[in-house]
Amino acid sequence: MSPVPEVRGSLAEARALLADFPVVDGHNDLPWALREHAGYDLDRLDVAADQTGRLHTDLPRLRSGGVGAQFWSVYVRSDMAGDDAVSATLEQIDCVDRLLARHPAELAPALTADDMEAARAAGRIASLKGAEGGHSINSSLATLRALHTLGVRYMTLTHNDNIPWADSATDEPGVGGLSAFGREVVREMNRLGMLVDLSHVAATTMRDALDTSEAPVIFSHSSARAVCDHPRNIPDGILERLPANGGVAMATFVPKFVLPAAVEWTRRADENMRAHGLHHLDTSARAMAVHAAFEAAEPRPTATAATVADHLDHMREAAGIAHIGIGGDFDGTAFTPSDLADVAGYPNLIAELLDRRWSRTDIAMLTWQNAVRVLRDAESVARASTRPPSTATLASLDG
Amino acid sequence: MADLQHLPYADSAAFGEPDDPPPAQAPTPAAFDLERARVLLAAQLVVDGHNTLGQQLDHTHWQDLMYGSVLLDTDIPRIRAGGVGAQFWSLHTGPDATGDSAVSATLDRIDAVTTLIASCPEALRLVTGADEMAEARDSGRIASLLGPVAGAALADSLGTLRAYHALGVRSATVAGAHWTATGLTPFGESVIREMNRLGVLVDLSGAAEETMDRVLAVTSAPVILSRSAARVLTDHPGNVSDDILRRLRANRGVCMVSFAPGQVCHDDQPASLRDVADHVEHVRALAGPESVGLAGSYGTAVDAPHTIGLEDASCYPNLIAELLHRDWSEADIAALTWGNAARVVREAKAPH
Repeated sequence: MSPVPEVRGSLAEARALLADFPVVDGHNDLPWALREHAGYDLDRLDVAADQTGRLHTDLPRLRSGGVGAQFWSVYVRSDMAGDDAVSATLEQIDCVDRLLARHPAELAPALTADDMEAARAAGRIASLKGAEGGHSINSSLATLRALHTLGVRYMTLTHNDNIPWADSATDEPGVGGLSAFGREVVREMNRLGMLVDLSHVAATTMRDALDTSEAPVIFSHSSARAVCDHPRNIPDGILERLPANGGVAMATFVPKFVLPAAVEWTRRADENMRAHGLHHLDTSARAMAVHAAFEAAEPRPTATAATVADHLDHMREAAGIAHIGIGGDFDGTAFTPSDLADVAGYPNLIAELLDRRWSRTDIAMLTWQNAVRVLRDAESVARASTRPPSTATLASLDG
Repeated sequence: MADLQHLPYADSAAFGEPDDPPPAQAPTPAAFDLERARVLLAAQLVVDGHNTLGQQLDHTHWQDLMYGSVLLDTDIPRIRAGGVGAQFWSLHTGPDATGDSAVSATLDRIDAVTTLIASCPEALRLVTGADEMAEARDSGRIASLLGPVAGAALADSLGTLRAYHALGVRSATVAGAHWTATGLTPFGESVIREMNRLGVLVDLSGAAEETMDRVLAVTSAPVILSRSAARVLTDHPGNVSDDILRRLRANRGVCMVSFAPGQVCHDDQPASLRDVADHVEHVRALAGPESVGLAGSYGTAVDAPHTIGLEDASCYPNLIAELLHRDWSEADIAALTWGNAARVVREAKAPH
């Protein structure tokens, strides 16, 4: 089972570094976990208390993990469509807003890079919202603008399934990247100052988005395909385009994406889930029990902070130190690396990087500066835009 | 042009080309009453409960609305000529929106209306409360309130309701929501309480009698009927019964009387502003002078059916002149046009 993380000298240094330059994490699925496990009843799963064993995320562990800003995912399942997806997304946004209203001393609502810096200065966790999948806007630019008004500052173009205007990494080729309407969505996001998130999308969609976007893009939770060949990771050819674009790839910790042995194990585990009539991403209690039984029979390969550091080493080489970040995907994945088990784990990753001779400046860029810069640059593009709000529709552009 | 729009009935010469036949039953309020109506409206503008211009915005440029539209019954010059100081802009999505896209269609309307408001900053100002309403009026802007959203667009979701509120919506129709199918379900009661908590007005227009009855029992804030006339005078599903009108007194709600011809007069006769005045008087008699308001129900094409004498958004002075002719006090008229609706907007937000 999981080895107890060794106490190393660099851990104290990591914590000191994080006190100055805390982590901006690109993706955390706490809102969905609160929906699934508590029916949005914030008393039932109170994140002010230690929720170890029930959630990856709570306020005490965010603190000890050195998190200074969090993009809270307002994810809804990609088999939702139309109004169901929109309405469920509005509920996710509402959940984040209620969470922020409930914990004003710890969580600071943030819409801009300045808000992030102000929160850091005040010792609060800057809280931003990210939508995970274009299905959340039901092919409507007005709905996109409504999400922006409600505080959403990035949108992942797809989740696991294709949508009418963009291809997903984990679906068959559809429109071959971004359709004309998909490119208009990217331009409208540029106009609004909403970051274009290319995690989950097909490489063709990444390419089309980079060709279209005037603003830097992000990958809110994706690692390097060259290290672990999984479609959720980023090909080198795309990483190499980030310096010109100015964007940031935020490495994720999800073992089934970062550890090759775990990719194969997960393939078999998913088959097992489907054999039990469950969706492979189901996180209900029954699904978790099925998963646990499978794991008892077939020991799960264990990723560690070193696995993630391997990705960051490679991503740094391919994209440059100014274009990498961190997106743990906590509470969005059943399993986590042994020493990155929850949001308290970030110092272990930083210690690992310090052991690999990353400089303090490198780490400050990785944890804080790159992500803040990218949002600031997106704001600049929006401010300079002279476009009126787009009235294009899926029908008018894609026929 | 502006003169024509200002006083279509003050002078018979204003009726159009000489060879046009005179309109049936053309009411011609005395010039004296019209003059008094204008003076009164200058002091107490109209808060109008219902305008569906939002449904026309996909094929209407804001400049046409700013400088005068030949196709629609609503534009900025006519709203100003009509003495409208505050307008609820309906976010209903019209018949095109299918069942599974009511939410995004509503977000689309919110976007279209707020974009219009942002495009016409000299004329329109988005407001979300009574203080902002008065401030907008005092700075010569038409205070623009977002609402109502359609009942179906609430998607049986309190989170969605709160999102609408965060986007500036301040009223919601309950008719058409699943939870009003049989009066009001327990979930429906929680929606009403959440609307009270947020300060979103409950709009009962179009709801079933049983639903109105249950909502009035549950709500802690005044309700509105954004576009209803008296059912006892005209039996129309959008109209409201005498029982409910009487209960508005205790609730301190407001019934905003619709000018839509089908709601004020039976189909076989042409509706005139005198019919609307009859409804307004009936509502005042039953609900009280503090619970009656106006709902032009404009926002449609000029050639759609309109009530004679109230053909477009510039016509409110005609109705006020008719009420003056019927010896309404200035205080009652001030309550009808601005006071009652402004009070309800204020009390929707007050702690209960």
